[in-house]
Amino acid sequence: MSPIDSPLRWRYLHEVLTKPGPFSDEDWIPGPETISALESSKVLVIGAGGLGCEILKNLALSGFKDIHVIDMDTIDISNLNRQFLFRHSDIGKPKAEVAAAFVERRVKGVSITPFVGKIQDKDEDYYMQFKIIVCGLDSIEARRWINATLIGMVDPEDPESLKPLIDGGTEGFKGQARVILPTLSSCIECQLDMHAPRPAVPLCTIATIPRQPQHCIEWAHQIAWQEHRKDDAFDSDDMEHIGWVYNEAHERAKQFNIHGVTFQMTQGVVKNIIPAIASTNAVIAAATTSEALKIATSCNPYLENYMMYAGEEGVYTYTFEAEKKSDCPVCGNLARKMTVNPKMTLEEFIETIGERPEAQLKKPSLRTEEKTLYQRFPPQLEEQTRANLKRSIRELVDDGEEIAVSDPAYTIDFRYRLIFS
Amino acid sequence: MLKIWSMKQKQQQAENAEGAAGKKKKKVTAAQLRVQRDLQELTLGSTMKMTFPNPDDILNFTLTIEPDEGLYKGGAFHFSFNVNQNFPHDPPKVKCTQKIYHPNIDLEGNVCLNILREDWKPVLNLNAVIVGMQFLFLEPNASDPLNKEAADDLRQNRDAFKRNVRTSMAGGTVRGVQFERVMK
Amino acid sequence: MTEAFPSTLVGPSSKERKYDRQLRLWAASGQKALEESRVLLVNSDGPWGDQSTGVSGVVGVETLKNLVLPGVGGFTIVDPAVVTEPDLGVNFFLEEESLGKSRAEETCRLLRELNPDVEGSFQTQSILELIQQDPEFLPRYKLVLVSGPIKHSSLDALCSAARELNIPVLYTRSVGFYSTFSLQLPATFPIVETHPDPETTQDLRLLNPWPELTEATTRVENLEGLDDHQHGHVPYILLLLHYLDQWKESHGGNVPSNYKEKTEFREMVRSGARTSNPEGGEENYDEAVAAVLKSLNPFSLPSSLREIFEMEECKTPTPKSADFWIIASAVNEFYQQHKMLPLPGSLPDMKAQSADYISLQNIYKSKARRDVEEVTKYVRRVESQLGPRPIDIPDKDIEVFCKNAAHINVIHGRNIPQLNGDAPTLKSLGNNLSIPDSLVTVFIAFQILDGVVTDIQTRGQSGQSLDDEAAWSTQISRAIDEITSDGSQVLDDDCRERILEATQELRRTEGGELHNISSLTGGLVAQEALKVITRQYVPLNNTCVFDGVHSRSEMFKL
Repeated sequence: MSPIDSPLRWRYLHEVLTKPGPFSDEDWIPGPETISALESSKVLVIGAGGLGCEILKNLALSGFKDIHVIDMDTIDISNLNRQFLFRHSDIGKPKAEVAAAFVERRVKGVSITPFVGKIQDKDEDYYMQFKIIVCGLDSIEARRWINATLIGMVDPEDPESLKPLIDGGTEGFKGQARVILPTLSSCIECQLDMHAPRPAVPLCTIATIPRQPQHCIEWAHQIAWQEHRKDDAFDSDDMEHIGWVYNEAHERAKQFNIHGVTFQMTQGVVKNIIPAIASTNAVIAAATTSEALKIATSCNPYLENYMMYAGEEGVYTYTFEAEKKSDCPVCGNLARKMTVNPKMTLEEFIETIGERPEAQLKKPSLRTEEKTLYQRFPPQLEEQTRANLKRSIRELVDDGEEIAVSDPAYTIDFRYRLIFS
Repeated sequence: MLKIWSMKQKQQQAENAEGAAGKKKKKVTAAQLRVQRDLQELTLGSTMKMTFPNPDDILNFTLTIEPDEGLYKGGAFHFSFNVNQNFPHDPPKVKCTQKIYHPNIDLEGNVCLNILREDWKPVLNLNAVIVGMQFLFLEPNASDPLNKEAADDLRQNRDAFKRNVRTSMAGGTVRGVQFERVMK
Repeated sequence: MTEAFPSTLVGPSSKERKYDRQLRLWAASGQKALEESRVLLVNSDGPWGDQSTGVSGVVGVETLKNLVLPGVGGFTIVDPAVVTEPDLGVNFFLEEESLGKSRAEETCRLLRELNPDVEGSFQTQSILELIQQDPEFLPRYKLVLVSGPIKHSSLDALCSAARELNIPVLYTRSVGFYSTFSLQLPATFPIVETHPDPETTQDLRLLNPWPELTEATTRVENLEGLDDHQHGHVPYILLLLHYLDQWKESHGGNVPSNYKEKTEFREMVRSGARTSNPEGGEENYDEAVAAVLKSLNPFSLPSSLREIFEMEECKTPTPKSADFWIIASAVNEFYQQHKMLPLPGSLPDMKAQSADYISLQNIYKSKARRDVEEVTKYVRRVESQLGPRPIDIPDKDIEVFCKNAAHINVIHGRNIPQLNGDAPTLKSLGNNLSIPDSLVTVFIAFQILDGVVTDIQTRGQSGQSLDDEAAWSTQISRAIDEITSDGSQVLDDDCRERILEATQELRRTEGGELHNISSLTGGLVAQEALKVITRQYVPLNNTCVFDGVHSRSEMFKL
């Protein structure tokens, strides 16, 4: 037996996997089966930044053997205060590749497959191969995308299609970790109001009555740039661009007698920089991976479903069950399979969905991801899509494609997956 | 979870073999769905028209406002709407595509309307934005302007402002700036 | 204006760029304190007999990782253990080649790779030998981290040596799905920059305006005469002051004092808004109305500050007093003079014309500056009365103190809590035990573990493993006896059951660490270490338990 697989090496981990605890599920059978289930669980890590680096390390040392990681970014000097898998010499290289190689080198026997790119580059086939998805992102948009994708993948007849999504996020001394069982528990979209948008300053204040240094920076960034450098796409990573905005902001501040415009503040405002430290990332990343371990092995109950953390004053956590919203636009009404005759016209099809018991839609508008099938209002769009009514379903929709239907009579929307008969 | 997984594993493999109708198909996004609904719930008066350069892309369109009363009567004002995939968390981006003389719209086409920025909330819909836009032409607001000169005119000399609006709408020059002809 | 505008672009240095995301939390002053600090990690106390390698020390190394990355000045790892096979399954800062080598040396080497700005060293002797041999050893450190469990005698010796030197100690244990840590701070531990929520800290002094502010109000005396544009841009602070004057005229010179009067006053303000405009209202009036309830509270000295002013250190500073107490006594003198604290001087953003806002801001800023000058005068006088001190108290420190005066916090440090008869600890444990889902049971389970370890280490019961049933039952009974020893506490069956359950869960790994839980705990402990070192934000007082089974935590004052 090679030392890597030595039972001695994984002794402590295997101990919790081979004997029950006072809180573990009574039906759980600890032992080799649990260990092999863990080792064969393929897990995806989204993001190889502050949280991602920690998550990769934690999964590797929690007995997961087949880990994949996606990140589109390259390493920047400002990552080095927390993204501990990167060194100064790595600046400019893709995060996913450097992080994967480092953890593979350090923890023998683990395989980490990097993908440098966007999560949107991958399709359902790709996401279907994983048991669990752990997410360490700073973008709400990306979170919403993966959330909707995983929910859309759920096939009620196939439990394998249910991919637990474990999501972490941090800001300064604060953070949160949550477990989402797509379609079964509260999702990102249900709790969208927890991600408050950054308070914005009225454009007219920026344009005519600035009072704060930030107002001057926003003016330089949004108004002066447009006026003077319209043809240059603004790049917040380009030091020359930031420098230009800083100088413009500085001049404007002087004109209005406003103090406090600094380079650091300029960067913060135009890049919407969120403070980030190693310790908070460590807490949240480990909270997510601890849930991954529990879900993959049943050795203890998993989080249901949200833990908030704040470290400014002592150590504060709040663990609660966020509620699933019945009118959630993403998980509130899932796609139903519907068998249709592809020769039917769209108009005939609309009549049939008007007769379906769950909907009885009287004035539906409907579309696929690619096409507006029929939109009743505004009149201009109705005119543009009217011709579709006479076309056959086959011409408009692919076999297995999803359509979304809205009707003013309902506050929720309906999704159907059309299977050609 | 483990229990479910191990139980259903074989079944899954069988189903996979069955063939893959319905795979790889993109889903209607949450933003698209919301816009579909918002569009359906619009109340457009006779003074407003929408055009969709690509009817399949409902996230990008143009709104034309043709005020039938007020200082801007007789004009046709075009606004581009760009809704991103993060809608309704993010507000739609709205710009005037013509160079016009208006206290709340600057020469680059930026629009100062609170619900497009600081007061945007995901519960607001496109109709709220369109109503707000229409209001800007009925009641231009001099007190918090984007175009300071126009606002000063409106505040200090309403008649001169009126004349300037007419001149600018006809494609004339006001305070050294040449405006676009926007008459219907 | 006395402040000058910088004339040229000063871009950030490479160090500022590297630390950018954290400088936005603790600023250059916090970073400087961090870079001037060395921390000591005591990561094990040697093996526990022949079957157990003792503590893996993952939580200690993970804590250090989170201090090395942000640029702590330096660290020393004290760890007599050699790297064993199980270490490689839990510790990321070891590699295959480390097997059989000194764990202190190997973890030190791999941690140093994280940040070339940080000095790292290691010691393979035990901590007791080190502090006995070299009295200069411990004073080099600003903070001591201890990974337990370690035997009581070592912990006690280390903690009392640190207490003598006023060095804070963080004692941590992470076992299986549970962890706990306690912070021992010096008897008084003042924090000036507590970073309270800015929403709660506005001090506008509307009920106690000074002459310049009153003078600014008279400039908008004739609100009715203003044109719509001006009327809609009067800063809300001036609006409130204006209406307060009106209110006082009709209320015998009194300001609105109770909720009913404040609501009436709010209506009075609201009715002053002009509504015959396109928006049907005015933003500055909206802001004024919203601010009535929170801004019209008479000044009262926060209780934490009252307590500070009454402390002996503040009342009678000595030549040996820390700067903090001398400034505190000067601020107390200021308070005695004015029955007010120095004005912080910041002004929230509000609807206003640029120039009007800036001039109002300057009224607040100059008043704050004058208050700082007055406090500085008192400080200098106390300094001269006390005789020569090594260096004068920096002006900057006085300014920061005055700005944060209302939120200053002094923590009264306590020892690392143990089940050793300490009455306040027992009382607090008892109180928490009566709460059904309190995590205090996990803390007690860790005390039991400490007892078992102490047994193994001190009685030299070689061959005894951590899984010895008899050792655990003995320690469980001892702990329960201890908790009930003062007679005030009766443990019901449910309580005992919960303690047993916690003990059972704790024993699942036979003393071993799980990487996730140690990594998470290392994050929490590093957070506390950073707060202690930078003297910013508010550290734990004094014990935290994390329960990885149910993903929750709880704080205790023990």
